[in-house]
Amino acid sequence: MQFFGGAEINPSPPAVTASGNNAHMMYIFNRNGVCLLYREWNRPLHTLNAQQDHKLMFGLLFSLKSLTAKMDPTSVEKVNLGVPQLPGQGCSFHSFRTNTYKLSFMETPSGIKIILVTHPRTGDLRESLKYIYNLYVEYVVKNPLYTPGTPIRYELFNAALDQYVRGLG
Amino acid sequence: MGREVSESCVDNLLIEMVSSYCDRFYANKPELAARRIEAIGYQVGHQLSERYTMERPRFSDHLEAIKFICKDFWSEIFKKQIDNLKTNHRGTFVLQDNQFRWLMHMSIDPSSDGSGLSHDASGALVDNKAAQAASMRLYFPCGIIRGALTNLGIPCAVSADISNLPACSFVVRIKV
Repeated sequence: MQFFGGAEINPSPPAVTASGNNAHMMYIFNRNGVCLLYREWNRPLHTLNAQQDHKLMFGLLFSLKSLTAKMDPTSVEKVNLGVPQLPGQGCSFHSFRTNTYKLSFMETPSGIKIILVTHPRTGDLRESLKYIYNLYVEYVVKNPLYTPGTPIRYELFNAALDQYVRGLG
Repeated sequence: MGREVSESCVDNLLIEMVSSYCDRFYANKPELAARRIEAIGYQVGHQLSERYTMERPRFSDHLEAIKFICKDFWSEIFKKQIDNLKTNHRGTFVLQDNQFRWLMHMSIDPSSDGSGLSHDASGALVDNKAAQAASMRLYFPCGIIRGALTNLGIPCAVSADISNLPACSFVVRIKV
């Protein structure tokens, strides 16, 4: 929802909130599109309800991955448009940036997608995403009470995640 | 000298063992499942104590043997020592571990069930489920301690106390 002609054409990025959380929100999806986790730390604007929001995010990334693989100028393979790709096939995009936020993305070979939305001046977050994936493996996958494919609602994981995100650049 | 194995493998194997015994083999009989798991721990503790006391002299008394369990044995298995040891000098010892390795990654889903119950009741139900899951996973280490001590010549009974996770205490009662 852009308003052209307003006084602010280039709004400054949001200041870091008092709670110190540097990220806006985070999603984790599995390979079937089930949203395993949605954490929100600082999101003033909600445009859709939760279900539509998750579907939109998953669809966006699915299409972006497909697009970036097709437009790869260094690739020699010819893949048909619309054919879904396995995780790890083709080139992998890892972030896009607008004037108000930066979205960083990581996909693992098992199909787990981690999306982190932060303020636009954040650097490369690939190492951070790998650390978050490590937290997921330790506190969720190795939790004897977890059934794979179900949403994650575990205090230990949420607490560790909050603490790590608080310290992000 | 020893060969190494990945810790993730061992963790996952133990998780599957407990869940197989609790959910499939003895599905509605938690006491039988617990006894079976403890018996497996007994065998493991028996053999591990052989391995880890290979070059040591015989233990002079019960306290020495318990201290061996707290220090060397625990560090071989869990890479740390027991944090606190208490005794009543009449055959009962309490071994307290403040960060028990096999329970560190476990936490519960607070909204898993109890959606139709009142708030208090659902809190109690969830705590009960967590307590049951934690206690099932502690029968194996209890068996390990019992097997190790029995092999050292000290027959005993071991139980676990989970009043405050992730710290847990193992109560060893030596049979006189």
